Amino acid sequence: MRRYREPVFRLAVSILGQEFAPEAEDVAQDVMLRLHHALGSFRGESSVGSWIYRIAFNQALNVKARARYRAPHLSEKALATAPSRDLGPHDQLQDERRRQAVLACVGELPEVYQSALRLHYWLGASVGEIAEMLDAPENTVKSYLHRARRLLQALLAERGFDAR
Amino acid sequence: MHDDEAMGRLLRDAMAGEAPQLSPAFDARVMRRVRPRRLTPMGRVVIAVYVVVAVAAAAWLMRDLRMESIAAAVAAGALIAAGTSAYVRRLAAGH
Repeated sequence: MRRYREPVFRLAVSILGQEFAPEAEDVAQDVMLRLHHALGSFRGESSVGSWIYRIAFNQALNVKARARYRAPHLSEKALATAPSRDLGPHDQLQDERRRQAVLACVGELPEVYQSALRLHYWLGASVGEIAEMLDAPENTVKSYLHRARRLLQALLAERGFDAR
Repeated sequence: MHDDEAMGRLLRDAMAGEAPQLSPAFDARVMRRVRPRRLTPMGRVVIAVYVVVAVAAAAWLMRDLRMESIAAAVAAGALIAAGTSAYVRRLAAGH
């Protein structure tokens, strides 16, 4: 049971985002309790893994829907202050605005893309680890990451940012 | 491919920051919820008194019945108690 607590937490936080680590911990706790009660009904280790990550994914999505209602998600805040090219040329300010725009645009991607991106680029998970957590083949995860980057690039371009 | 790499770099920069960790109290919190709850000494006394009173009341109420009827009543009572207990356990487990 202990081997799943860290990955479940990482998966939950990858769905909920940087601002909701305490909520991700609540999700991990809830999933661990459900695992404890259901342990006897599993046939093998592989069925435990996919079951537990599916529960964690769905549970985190539910929490995210409630959390979003309580406090606007970063993307909505950022949308309200959409960056404009007209403001000063200061590099640091521009970098920070681009960073905010990237985070906001990530929040607009499909949930599974958001999760894959955060797991890979923020939490440093390998493609294999992400594949296990999302219960998908490694090639599918590579495709998620590729499509997510392309979508993100398009969203950033709409806001006047490029990737370079 | 070049754009893809640039996008990867941009994402890494934008998301740079300390990855959150589970709090040190996480295991203790889970164990507290998982460990079966024990009755307090007072709770045990209450249960014991309840059992004695229930057995005495049942014996007094069934004093004029035939042995077969008493056996049937005890068997039905045991079945109902076992079913209710299993149902409550499932509810507590969140199924």
